[in-house]
Amino acid sequence: MERSSSLSVKPLSPSDWETLIDDFQFGPPRRQKWTSQYPSISLLDLALTSILRKESPLPLKLNLLVFLEEFSAESLFADCDAHSVTSRLIESARYVIQAPIDGISFTVSLKEQFMVSVTSILIALDALSDASAVRDLENFVDLLLSVANRPNFSSDRQIRAVACECLREFERAYPCLLAEIAGHLWGLCQSERTHAAYSYILLLTTVVHSIVVSKMNVSMVNPSVPLVPFCVPQLLTSASTSASGLNLKELRRVMAFLLESPHFMTPCGMMEFLSMIVPIAIVLELQTSLLKVQFFGLLYSFNPLLCHAVLMMYMHFVDAFDGQESEIARRLMLISGQVQNHLVFKMLALHWLLGFIGLISNEKFDKSKLGSVLSLGFYPSVFDPLALKSLKLDVLAFSSTCGVENGISVVELFEDGLVCVSAFKWLPPCSTESAVAFRTFHKFLICASSHSDNNFSASKVLMESAIFKSLQRMLVDMTLEFQRLVPVVVAFVDRFLNCHKHRWLGERLLVTFDEYLLPKVITDYRLASYFPVLDRIAESDTITPCGLLSLLTKFVVFLVEKHGPDTGLKSWSHGSKILGICRTMLAHHHSSRLFHGLSHLLAFACLYFPDLEIRDSARIYLRLLVCIPGKKLRHILKLGEQLPGISSSPYPSSFFNGQSPQASHDPKKYRNLLSHIRLERAVKLLVNQCWSLSLPSFGVSNDRPGNLEGIRDIEFPLDAEREFDPSVGTHVSEAERFDRPKEPLCVMDSVISEILGILRRHFSCIPDFRYMPGLKIRIPCYLRFKSEPFNQDLGLGSPKTGTNNVDTIPAIYATVLTFSSSSPYGSIPSSRIPFLLGESSRDYFSSDQKGSLDIVPLENGVSDDESFRASVVIELEPREPMPGLIDVAIETNTDDGHVIRGRLDSIVVGIEDMFLRAIVPSDIREDAVLDYYAELFNALWEACSSPSSTGREIFGLKGGKGAAAICGTRSVKLIDVPATSLIQSIECHLAPFVVSVIGEDLVNIVKDGGVIRDVIWKEASAFDATSSSTDLNQGPLHLTYTEEEEDGEDHPCISKREMGCFRILIFLPPRYHLLFQMEVSNVSTLVRIRTDHWPCLAYIDDYLETLFLA
Amino acid sequence: MRGCSIRAIWILNAQDAVVFSRRFPVVERRWREACNRENESCIEEDTLKEGSSRGFGIRTAQSTEGMDSWVDDPITRHVISVYINKEEEGENHLLWPLILHIKGQYCILVLPLVEPQHLKAYARICKRSDCGNAVGVDESVSSLLLELPSITGAFMVAHAIGDIISGDMVEPEIVVSASPVGGLLDSLTGSIGIAGMSARPKPVAAPVAVSAAGAVVMGAIASDAPKIGSRPLDKDALRTFISSSMPFGTPLDLSYSNISAMKAHGFSSSDLPPADLKQPAWKPYLFKGKQRLLFTIHETVFAAMYDRDEIPDSISISGQVNCRADLEGLPDVSFPLTALNAAHVEVLSFHPCAQVPEQCVDKQAASVMFSPPLGNFVLLCYQATCGVGPPIKGFYQLSMVSEDEGAFLFKLSLMEGYKAPLTMDFCTITMPFPRRRVVSFDGTPSIGTVSTTDRSVEWKIITSGRGITGKSVEATFPGTIKFAPWQTQRLPSSRPGFGNIADEESDNETESNGNMVNVDEFLMEKMNKDLPSVDLEEPFCWQAYNYAKVSFKIMGASLSGTSIDPKSVSIYPPVKAPVEFSTQVTSGDYILWNTLGKCPSAASRKS
Repeated sequence: MERSSSLSVKPLSPSDWETLIDDFQFGPPRRQKWTSQYPSISLLDLALTSILRKESPLPLKLNLLVFLEEFSAESLFADCDAHSVTSRLIESARYVIQAPIDGISFTVSLKEQFMVSVTSILIALDALSDASAVRDLENFVDLLLSVANRPNFSSDRQIRAVACECLREFERAYPCLLAEIAGHLWGLCQSERTHAAYSYILLLTTVVHSIVVSKMNVSMVNPSVPLVPFCVPQLLTSASTSASGLNLKELRRVMAFLLESPHFMTPCGMMEFLSMIVPIAIVLELQTSLLKVQFFGLLYSFNPLLCHAVLMMYMHFVDAFDGQESEIARRLMLISGQVQNHLVFKMLALHWLLGFIGLISNEKFDKSKLGSVLSLGFYPSVFDPLALKSLKLDVLAFSSTCGVENGISVVELFEDGLVCVSAFKWLPPCSTESAVAFRTFHKFLICASSHSDNNFSASKVLMESAIFKSLQRMLVDMTLEFQRLVPVVVAFVDRFLNCHKHRWLGERLLVTFDEYLLPKVITDYRLASYFPVLDRIAESDTITPCGLLSLLTKFVVFLVEKHGPDTGLKSWSHGSKILGICRTMLAHHHSSRLFHGLSHLLAFACLYFPDLEIRDSARIYLRLLVCIPGKKLRHILKLGEQLPGISSSPYPSSFFNGQSPQASHDPKKYRNLLSHIRLERAVKLLVNQCWSLSLPSFGVSNDRPGNLEGIRDIEFPLDAEREFDPSVGTHVSEAERFDRPKEPLCVMDSVISEILGILRRHFSCIPDFRYMPGLKIRIPCYLRFKSEPFNQDLGLGSPKTGTNNVDTIPAIYATVLTFSSSSPYGSIPSSRIPFLLGESSRDYFSSDQKGSLDIVPLENGVSDDESFRASVVIELEPREPMPGLIDVAIETNTDDGHVIRGRLDSIVVGIEDMFLRAIVPSDIREDAVLDYYAELFNALWEACSSPSSTGREIFGLKGGKGAAAICGTRSVKLIDVPATSLIQSIECHLAPFVVSVIGEDLVNIVKDGGVIRDVIWKEASAFDATSSSTDLNQGPLHLTYTEEEEDGEDHPCISKREMGCFRILIFLPPRYHLLFQMEVSNVSTLVRIRTDHWPCLAYIDDYLETLFLA
Repeated sequence: MRGCSIRAIWILNAQDAVVFSRRFPVVERRWREACNRENESCIEEDTLKEGSSRGFGIRTAQSTEGMDSWVDDPITRHVISVYINKEEEGENHLLWPLILHIKGQYCILVLPLVEPQHLKAYARICKRSDCGNAVGVDESVSSLLLELPSITGAFMVAHAIGDIISGDMVEPEIVVSASPVGGLLDSLTGSIGIAGMSARPKPVAAPVAVSAAGAVVMGAIASDAPKIGSRPLDKDALRTFISSSMPFGTPLDLSYSNISAMKAHGFSSSDLPPADLKQPAWKPYLFKGKQRLLFTIHETVFAAMYDRDEIPDSISISGQVNCRADLEGLPDVSFPLTALNAAHVEVLSFHPCAQVPEQCVDKQAASVMFSPPLGNFVLLCYQATCGVGPPIKGFYQLSMVSEDEGAFLFKLSLMEGYKAPLTMDFCTITMPFPRRRVVSFDGTPSIGTVSTTDRSVEWKIITSGRGITGKSVEATFPGTIKFAPWQTQRLPSSRPGFGNIADEESDNETESNGNMVNVDEFLMEKMNKDLPSVDLEEPFCWQAYNYAKVSFKIMGASLSGTSIDPKSVSIYPPVKAPVEFSTQVTSGDYILWNTLGKCPSAASRKS
């Protein structure tokens, strides 16, 4: 039958079809390309053509049919007229089914598949509900019936079986569709004797089932309608008739017939059969003993489906099977133990058993009967897969609730059962064995305690039970013996702690650990592995922390004692974990409970702990404990933990993790808060603008020690042999090394050698920052913040302000300021402020205004409110004297526990911050200091003047490893300010550095001022000589303002009326010097500048201008 | 009462790509109707795009609510849930229960039809926030599994498909005068005599000791071993099987041999139905030809031999009676169970064709009656203890002399107390060292030959063809073995592992070399540190132990003492047919644990 439909589209080749089917199975995206190209109806036409074509390969035909079937309802024909689809299909179906089998194009397989697929499509398209398609449905059923209606016909028996299956599927989709012809079907059933009888029986059962369910009155013996032609019953199309009562007598006869037939069934068919028979039997009120006799034996089959079928039947007839429970349980046990069964079915058997127990324990059933069966049969065996062991242990756990049987106690049961996974103790903690073991602990512990009831008496019983006690003992012993199990044990405790119903169990276990584990733990480094447990104990507020505290104290003592060169990191790590636990305790206990022990522990730690950071943190905790009232402290500490997303981490690897809670949710809000916090210098800088001269060759760093002006290592021309040869017995001391001339001897006069002596002595006092702490610059600052805007931004309402003023003052806690800088200032230690109150607006504005004035020192104005600001000292260790910026990062906690993080305004470091007094060697007596400074000034002045006199000399630094050379530079600056104001400025800013004042007039004025004291006063004379004598202009670099300046003394601006001069010696860390000789006259002053660090001249110029001219 | 229907089947390959899928629109329609009844939005999952990997099975540190492992039940490695993400709706749909069966490189997923209420119940179970289910109370997976035979059915389907795609459709082995007998197709072609079809030549003797037991007896053990390489998926065969065995998604017959026989042979008009009886569904063809009745008892011995005072050796036998009844018509065969009911035979389960009267299992006098299907079939299975002594007794000791050198000693006695006709066909002992490379080996056994591979030493005590009958053999084998230096190895675990609970065990140095008692313990400590965790399907972590595995085959009689007396077998209606009986005993896991090392054990049942 070639279809002559209007095929406008190109037919598809077999390979095209394969691609199409693949694409359809892949999903909508790839379907698109076909559905857009081919309308679904034409696709159907094409498919049918291909199927009917003789030369198409059989697999393709079958494949196409399955394809049509799978996608019919879903996507292919969703938008088609049902009739147009069904009519085409049925026409083709009839053609194929009625064609004689030729074994090539029309095979049995094709016929079968055609029937099945068309049936599927008709049902999926819901042909019955579509008026236009009902006729097609009737035609097709008619066709199927005519196929089926040839009982015992030999060659097409399988086709008949399939036709019956199709009819059954129709009946199942549209119950009672075949009800009116049930009598005919019964007749067919009775006569069929081939293996297809099985399908006929299932079909009849299905029909009877729907008759019984819909209570339809049908005569089975005398059918009212003929088998063919088939008509859809009125009942189904009109949906108006009501149930009219069953013809019980006839139905019972059919049942009797059906119940004889189970042995013809395959196991799957039996399942199907039973699933229909049971409801019928219930409605017809058949004697259940009948069913039992017929089907109970299936329980002994090794087919899992049959066993399950029996269980299903049991569930419907619990009463009829009364007394069989033990037998069923025993049988299920045996199935689970049968090696031949696949693992899954063994597991299923155990699940059925557990489900079965759950079912019958609801009934009035004596559990103890079951108990004996269960406890005996479910010892796991060695070769049982772990999954099966695990489930068997479940059953054992259950049977432990059924009471003690045969003299086996629950504990014995538990311990014996556990033997099969006992390797968990020594295997890695992540082993499957330990997972199974701990799962079993759990099951045994909670036994039959349901999560849904609220019966707390059960928990009391459990607490007293032997199993609980023995499990506790076991956990303690295990934890003592195998430290690696600690995390697993903790996870186990956590599991209880996180359960609403069994939290108390977890707590109880912790109490046990506290009581029995802690005293037995040996105090050595292995103690660290118990930290997770200790942390949980610390968290539990039901446990007195005494034991824990004493253990931790012991451990800290141990750590302090054992501390050695190799244990640095270990001590730190252990120490921080201990502090983490202390913190947990602070957060969960009343301070009064902890105070005694914890303060001892912390005090000890902050005094003796080998690690600085730990000492520091311990001090903070100690202060928190001592200073902050308990409630508030707990509030502060706890808040971080309660934020969503941070469930208490089981492994506080470092206590910092625990300490820093999640960043706040609203970054904007907290950024605003930050803008109210200020860190500002205590002393304002003179020069406000900040720029710094950055010369790469002067970046003195540790890794580049050999720079021109930097410090270089002393190269000793020593051979090690001589130095350390014991036979020679000479030991070269550090001093000797320095005295040994490095260069070939050169002629020196006594003046120069004296200068050299002074300089050597001076430099030997300067620490070499590469090997020891360098000289430090301290910049005092204040941290403060405004209360009101802070409160507003924090969201604390202003209404409160009226009632209680103290409460509204906000505070920040545990502030950490960390500093960093791009300038070469070395590492800058961070600063911690435990607690700071906000300034009320009045205070704030007053001080703010003061702050805005330029030079007025702050000390005058803010003496009264020290509590509202915290002094912070920034310590720098400059590698090079230069101005720069220090970036400030803050991390602090607000009242409500939020963490604020961010940056504050940078702190400006000026050149004047670098000004230090020269170091006085320790062997200089106090009264000789002035002379020492004078001599040093002269020596440096000399050294910086002319490189030739000392230029090739190097001077050893303190520590003996480094040395420095002096490379001087000179400069002058003329300042047009009257002498009086100049003197004032010097008194104000440079007083500490003045070495001597020379010249009668000047001496008098300065002495009268009284600010500058303890300097050498000289009456005139000398300075001319010193200033002019060695003016050789041979420095490597000579900065000049103008050509004329080269000869400074002849500068026309300098008044002849000279009053005298100041000599000022400034030490610039790490090892430089700045010398001023200020020749003061009435209207102007000439400043002669010499330095061994020429880059600083750039800043000095600015500095001097601001100092004197501003 | 519910039946069993399948909504869809998917087969994924090793790359988790769908290589085969089949959906059943009729069942899908039923699901949709059920959803509508429950006023429930229903899922129409398109294609299973995401492949699913096997879960933990047990609740671990990684488990979160909603995951299968949260349910804390090993079965969730086989009955899994998948969340289908519908892009357009933006919400996850739970798909449960998906039956997962892994066979070779393929992963078979079967989705049975359940009711929406069951799906909801499972969703509740896996989202409960408490610490885990107690046994026998509350809503549990167990009660769901009991209520849903469709899950059991889906497993049957999955296994049937798995056997087809891996080519594992071996019929039970029947041995007659030491040569196996062909299966169903042989009896068909030998008897039916369809024109143009000649009898297939007898298959070449199947490889011994592996074939028959592999499929049935050792199914559980063998299933996880990777199957023969990459066998292309025969989609057409699969499609045909599915269309015939479950045309509408409801399984009707999962017997591949029957279905393929019907596909291959069809029926002709000469296939007459029996005159008065109905032909059962499982016997579509009737036998015609020379009548005979064959029984083979096949036993597999599992043993854990410890040679220690505190742990008793455990030996168990799982046996089955394979049968082939070349009998015309539909006769009933029966024989008394007396022999099987000896004291040490404890479990009996039968082929569905057997009629087991309720009381028969316990009564001595009871007999089993069955109407045999065509071809070879397993009539019954049993578990037993050893009637005679263990076939191989003795001990294996391995002691590490240094980190890389060990001395070992075997002292065995084979077939002690065994009399003729018990014949040991072959016996081989293997010492596997999966984690160490064998460099050299020294030592001569008192009997047999030794060969080594990279990871094992094999000692062939008795080779096939030189079997020993009715006498015992003493065998000793002292020797030393040298391994390549131990390297810390992170063997890739088959899955992420049960919790990285202990991943940071970094800074607590639990052991220092000082307090280790001896090399053995030190080495063990060292090696055990990075032992991978095994799958739940393994009995224990094999790699953690030193052992020797024995494989052997014994002919002549069963070890449990079971036998069938051909004279007591009766056939009704009576025909004259010879009854033949044979036995074959092979080794399962027959392990000699290193007496000087650790070993897994289990407490035995107390009675």
